[in-house]
Amino acid sequence: MLLDPGMDLTLRPMRYPDFYERYRAAIRNTWTVEEVDLHTDLADLPRMTAQERHLINRLVAFFATGDSIVANNLVLNLYQHVNAPEARLYLSRQLFEEAVHVQFYLTLLDTYLPDLDERIKAFAAIENIPSIRDKADFCFKWIDSLGDLRELRSREDRRAFLLNLICFAACIEGLFFYGAFAYVYWFRSRGLLQGLATGTNWVFRDESMHMEFAFSVVDTVRAEEPGLFDADLDKQVVEMLEEAVAAELAFARDLCGDGMPGMSAEQMRQYLEYVADQRLARLGFGRRYGTANPFAFMELQDVQELANFFERRVSAYQVAVEGNVTFDEAF
Amino acid sequence: MTQIVSADRRLAIEEAAARVIADPANSRVAAGLLAEEIADEAATHGVRSFSDSIAATHAEGLVQDSLAAFVAAHAEELNALVDDDADERFEYFGLRTVYDRYLLRHPATRAVLERPQHFFLRVACGLSDSVEEAAELYRLMSGLAYLPSSPTLFNSGARRPQLSSCFLLDSPRDELEGIYDRYAQVARLSKYAGGIGIAWTRVRSRGSLIRGTNGHSNGIVPWLRTLDSSVAAVNQGGRRKGAACVYLETWHADIEEFLELRDNTGEEARRTHNLNLANWIPDEFMRRVEADADWSLFDPKAVPHLTDLYGDAFDQAYRRAEAEGLATRTIPARTLYGRMMRTLAQTGNGWMTFKDAANRTSNQTARPENVIHLSNLCTEILEVTSDAETAVCNLGSINLAAHVAGGGVDFARLRATVRTAVRFLDKTIDLGFYPTPEAERANRKWRPIGLGVMGLADVFFALRLPFDSPQAQELSTRIAEEIALAAYDTSADLAVERGPHPSYGDTRAFQGVLHPDHYGAATSVAWAALRSKIAKTGLRNSLMIAIAPTATIASIAGCYECIEPQVSNVFKRETLSGEFLQVNRYLVRDLQERGLWTQEMRDAIKRADGSVQDIPGVPADLRLLYRTAWELPQKALIDLAAARMPYIDQSQSLNLFMASPTIGKLSSMYAYAWKSGLKTTYYLRSRPATRIAQTTVTAQEAVACSLENPEYCEACQ
Repeated sequence: MLLDPGMDLTLRPMRYPDFYERYRAAIRNTWTVEEVDLHTDLADLPRMTAQERHLINRLVAFFATGDSIVANNLVLNLYQHVNAPEARLYLSRQLFEEAVHVQFYLTLLDTYLPDLDERIKAFAAIENIPSIRDKADFCFKWIDSLGDLRELRSREDRRAFLLNLICFAACIEGLFFYGAFAYVYWFRSRGLLQGLATGTNWVFRDESMHMEFAFSVVDTVRAEEPGLFDADLDKQVVEMLEEAVAAELAFARDLCGDGMPGMSAEQMRQYLEYVADQRLARLGFGRRYGTANPFAFMELQDVQELANFFERRVSAYQVAVEGNVTFDEAF
Repeated sequence: MTQIVSADRRLAIEEAAARVIADPANSRVAAGLLAEEIADEAATHGVRSFSDSIAATHAEGLVQDSLAAFVAAHAEELNALVDDDADERFEYFGLRTVYDRYLLRHPATRAVLERPQHFFLRVACGLSDSVEEAAELYRLMSGLAYLPSSPTLFNSGARRPQLSSCFLLDSPRDELEGIYDRYAQVARLSKYAGGIGIAWTRVRSRGSLIRGTNGHSNGIVPWLRTLDSSVAAVNQGGRRKGAACVYLETWHADIEEFLELRDNTGEEARRTHNLNLANWIPDEFMRRVEADADWSLFDPKAVPHLTDLYGDAFDQAYRRAEAEGLATRTIPARTLYGRMMRTLAQTGNGWMTFKDAANRTSNQTARPENVIHLSNLCTEILEVTSDAETAVCNLGSINLAAHVAGGGVDFARLRATVRTAVRFLDKTIDLGFYPTPEAERANRKWRPIGLGVMGLADVFFALRLPFDSPQAQELSTRIAEEIALAAYDTSADLAVERGPHPSYGDTRAFQGVLHPDHYGAATSVAWAALRSKIAKTGLRNSLMIAIAPTATIASIAGCYECIEPQVSNVFKRETLSGEFLQVNRYLVRDLQERGLWTQEMRDAIKRADGSVQDIPGVPADLRLLYRTAWELPQKALIDLAAARMPYIDQSQSLNLFMASPTIGKLSSMYAYAWKSGLKTTYYLRSRPATRIAQTTVTAQEAVACSLENPEYCEACQ
């Protein structure tokens, strides 16, 4: 079974071909930070209000460390315990993507904050800014929740691991990041910060995959060991999401202050609750909030893009292509 | 107080715009609010009437003195022309585009100094000598029936009226001064919003000896890197980034490195992220691919004559060069062809354009010294170039959707639109400001124009013709033929009024051969009559028809782009002014009529990425009609393009779509495109391998297995 301790190396026969396909699909979506043009954003920053600039600076400070934390958990916990070589291939690829995200946000920070002291402050936010520190503490708590566990022997070990996995997928990548992306798309809906939005599209695409991979690990474990899932686990997941919503809401209050047209802490609360419900539904747990999505501009995220080359770079191309030259295939 | 009202209105606009998917009527609601916003903004500088707007823009030095004088002299008549109700024709995205990018703004406050209808009338007056003339063009524009290309919309009536869309520069000569001179020309042309096509085939390849220093050349890549930076540095008046496409002939020894220029892996020093790439392919190469033969690569320094030859002359010279042992390397033709397909799949770039088809049928290539060396940034322009002549084209597109009436296309109205369009396109040649003497010289000599279309997909939807039906092909070909007939006829009339273009004697038309004759497609009485008319009058323009992509003007007109099928029933447009949601209003209307446009249906279409193929409850006739570009056979797109080719004397920006491309499918498709006689193709569009998780559609609950949910349970099907 997937969570049985060990270091399985067998790829033939392959037990989880779906994980392998996810690994290959991820490779086809390779992008590099050099493809993102951030310099157009520099013209937007001086046009913003003080509240908006405050929001952006906080957001950049969150991004500075967010993906590194996810990468750490991947190395310390996920790679250790998900015992299938095809799943570890995916996780290796995910680790690379986290590194690209870290590089992207570092480049963003260097671009947006020309002053060296400001850059240092942004990285120190994780210690100094309470709303960012609290979110980080939430993450660290769950990274450490498995302690020195080397093998998932008992039922309790495995349930602890599931909570860690769900936390990073549903709460951190699936809620903290989703909250942050919403601010970016709010700016973009007003024609601002296109460079950040372009990079965010690609980060978002990767994060969506990470989350879906983690959820399919949960699905697999549920099919293999249904006994691990019960009302108690359900309750723990709901509590964990409530805690994440509260932490992200505190961050929203810090960012939005008294609110701006189209973006306020209250709307963000609704949005976070709506997203949390989506996560719970996907995991097969009941909805907790029943709140509707308040951000119409997020609808844009759900549909295909149609860019033309006079505008921004089209992000739809694929990296790995296969096959040989022939003349008789249907097209 | 007004500030607060305005902030509320802006929020209401954004809310309405974001709800377009629920009901497309919200698009007009948002547009109406935005029109009010624009009128209020213009009023802050006292602009209410058209003559106010010209006075205000003239005071800020934004428009020509002659335009200001013309408007002042005819203020009352011109103000009376303005049809404020015409704003109601705009979809939100169209009006937003006009507002963000086209309306003239105060240099300091950045407030707009004209309303959308003032803008249209200003463009019309900038191209007119009388009120009647201006009225004729204004009515077409305000009716969204015809729009000139963006450079004309940006610059008509401006102090530096650069009105041309595209410039085609011959390859620099194989020497330092020639190359640096080209950079300067590119920068000057790019500054005024022109798209650049440039060949690089004459420049020596990597390893070639440089006599002056006794060193070896690093090939074309470092030069193209410099071009890349130069293009990125020239921002077109803050309105859009400069853009260029580099053409290379398939026998150039640096072809493989050229094909890697857009990869996002590998050495950054050998990458150009801003340049588009196109292959300029001789038939000989495609024949060798078919025959699985070898292909020889040459240093242009050893075979400088090859790029100035096409057809049999090229084939013979190429084989002679091989026999003389001049090749740098020889590789299997299929290996290189496979590499080209890979570049297309990975980057969408490396467009396939065919040198022999382009030259063989061109009106400009009657004399052997006149050769087409490349196409342009969007692969629809094919004109001769040389070191002394930079080809230019002025474009405009007819909105076919606006010519549908009574269950068909109103051909009489279409012909009338063509006549007006051709007259004004011809005028832009004389009124335009040319950033380089090479461009001015060529344009005044050949006087080419590029009349195109947009909204073909709208016509098919409105008339309920599936894109791949024989009726659709027949109609699309008829439209192309009618446009060509009316355009040539108008150009013949213009030749009587203003004289034929100076190089008319060097054209195939002068010898009695018109473009459709190359395809045996001008046998009707109408063509015979036109041919004898032209024999007497000559032509004012050497080339007339080119189907441009119309990305921006189709958004203004609110129709589908040029000859393209829809890419999705629900999609977003990413532009410099943000992202906007678009929904297929024909589909929505059909579903509304059948009582099927529900929240569940909207979610289902979004979940299916804009496809209606697998949604239970969508009737079969709608599924057939509303297939997307990803779901249509690409053969149909190529067949439609080939069928209209006889009536397109330049070319067409033909995108091809393949969700999951493989080398096998691509190589079959492009070989078919070549055999069909297409002169050029444009982007290969593919889709991301993975996608963003949707946030606003209800998550599918995890369903283990249940007979109560058969739709979700694959095991039961």
